[in-house]
Amino acid sequence: MALLDDPPPWLLWGTGLAGLAAGLATVPLLLNNDRVDGGSAFAALALLICWSFIGAGLVAWRQRPASRIGLLMVAVGFAWAASAISLSDQPLLFIIGATIANVWTVLLFQLLLTFPDGRLTTRNEKLLAAAAWVSGLLLQIPALLFQAFPDPDLCLNCPENPLLLVDSETVADIFLLLQALIVVPAVVGLLVLLVRRWQGASDAQRGTFVPVLWAGGAVMALLALQLIGLAFNLNGPITGAIVPLILIAFLLVPFAFLAGLLRTHLSREAAVSRLLTRLRELPVEGGELKGLLAEALGDPSLRLGYWFPPVSGYVDQNGRALDLDQEERGRFLSVVESKERRIAVLLCDPALAGQTQLVDAVGAAAALALENERLEAELRARVADLQASRIRIVEGADAERRRLERDLHDGAQQQLVASALSLRLARDKLKSDPQGADELLAQAAADLDLATGELRELARGIHPAVLSERGLGAGLQALADRTPLPVEISEFPDERFPSGIEAAAYFLVAEALTNVARYANAGKATVAVARKNGHLEVEVVDDGIGGADPAGGSGLSGLADRVAALDGRLEVDSPPGRGTTVKAVIPCEL
Amino acid sequence: MGRTVLIVDDHAGFRTSARRLLEAEGFEVVGEAADGHSGIESARLLLPDLVLLDVQLPDIDGFEVCERLKQKGPGPDVILTSTRSGSDFGPLIAESEALGFVPKAGLSGRALEGLLA
Repeated sequence: MALLDDPPPWLLWGTGLAGLAAGLATVPLLLNNDRVDGGSAFAALALLICWSFIGAGLVAWRQRPASRIGLLMVAVGFAWAASAISLSDQPLLFIIGATIANVWTVLLFQLLLTFPDGRLTTRNEKLLAAAAWVSGLLLQIPALLFQAFPDPDLCLNCPENPLLLVDSETVADIFLLLQALIVVPAVVGLLVLLVRRWQGASDAQRGTFVPVLWAGGAVMALLALQLIGLAFNLNGPITGAIVPLILIAFLLVPFAFLAGLLRTHLSREAAVSRLLTRLRELPVEGGELKGLLAEALGDPSLRLGYWFPPVSGYVDQNGRALDLDQEERGRFLSVVESKERRIAVLLCDPALAGQTQLVDAVGAAAALALENERLEAELRARVADLQASRIRIVEGADAERRRLERDLHDGAQQQLVASALSLRLARDKLKSDPQGADELLAQAAADLDLATGELRELARGIHPAVLSERGLGAGLQALADRTPLPVEISEFPDERFPSGIEAAAYFLVAEALTNVARYANAGKATVAVARKNGHLEVEVVDDGIGGADPAGGSGLSGLADRVAALDGRLEVDSPPGRGTTVKAVIPCEL
Repeated sequence: MGRTVLIVDDHAGFRTSARRLLEAEGFEVVGEAADGHSGIESARLLLPDLVLLDVQLPDIDGFEVCERLKQKGPGPDVILTSTRSGSDFGPLIAESEALGFVPKAGLSGRALEGLLA
């Protein structure tokens, strides 16, 4: 329905001209008939009603194309004009007009029911609308099958009824009663719904709601009264007095709507200008901005989310991550941007969805202040991140010490104990059993070799000597040589870097290669380390099974903290079945 | 006939060295066990005079093994051992029902006899 959602000028003009013509076409019918009182005065009023609805509807359609209210108002205008066909003396035209005579009231009913978005959404709304259509249009047809015209009570000067099946006033009255029985509860339901909607509305919304709802509600209540009068044959003074009241209240609806529109427009301008003044006057302290925006929008439930680039998501004022899927349930979201950069999101009352211009204007007015708060929120989020990573680093160091102690205890220490025992035994046997002593000494020497090997391995794990003495290139080559699968060092820098950066790069490659050897089921791995744009880029790629989870296991997450401590970042790309790429970018400009 | 000994330690290398050393000094090593539970089971079957018990075992630690060995009746004598020094375990050794502690590197028949006497 793109055409309806964004009406081009020709459509608006065409509809306007058609409305003008439809109105004019009713004039001869209104003037040349002896069925309505009031003559030219009534004709003028009827014409005014027709054009007011169509005109106000077109304004509403153009200003709020997302809402269907404008279209409904235009439809009411046309249906009102069409109902004048019933004034024709030509029997067929007369009966067509009589059939559709109530359509304008049904459309007005639907307009009020769905105000301000013009769409039937809830089950209750759909039920009430269906009742109105059944009563106003569907039951009109069987009623007319049994109603003979002219009728002394209803219409003395009407032409004959070509639809007449059987002339039975009783049956016609039953249908009329049925119509009343359906429409009266429907109108009561509508009025209840309107009162509830009014109670649930914000102050700003009430300003726009109230005039329309009052005028429209009055029309509906009066129409229901009129129908009751007809159904119970209370003709005469009551129904006679009601008609002009209905017409006046009816005429007020489009003007009330325009007044509401104007008032929204004015209150929007006032809200935005008040906000701008306040933002200029005082430095906005923490939390105050939210209050100012809530006031400008008339939405005390407003919440703010600030864009936090490192996680491509929103955080609250304290830097805590916002789960928008959870938060936005039923909320209207409006993203605030400045110079094509995302700043914040306004989580508004869903009723504000009908006032996107207001929300956009308020967001734009507060963009600078929001950006300041965003920076504060970002700072808090970064501090929280930093604290968390500091704790992880401390815990990681503890775990590393525990691992070292265990490795020493299980490895070298055991070998040393074994060789000490062998040496002691050999000493005891030196004289009595020289050959046995010789075997024990050989055993002790072998245990000492093992212990030396274990200690060498451990020392390398603590800090590889080759790295500190010969730099990254030699360190990486040593790693590649020790990895039990082919590793190609495709690129490495000749220069030296600060020891923290070299160590981070080295241990990243070491951990990545350990993971490749243990889990990736890979045929080979490639390591590339290069200096690019003031950053050291470290990349380890394998051709294994992929599916590595950087969050699982402390190996990679510990390295992510180490890289983050150097202001760098770590990315792991590991689609299942397509290998794993671990890449770190660490600033190294001195 | 020397005293019968059960060696409970998860390092096979140590068990072998200890067996050779103790046998050379007149002990009779009747069995070896690699963890706490199998140590308790072996002690029940073999009824050794002495259990040489490592403190750090893969399943339950030596203190608990000692407690269970002493639960029903007097049970075998227990001497705890470890690559660590006895002071690393604070009051735990003194509070246990073991006769005492010998560091692994200082293990000898004489050291055990000293505690058994």
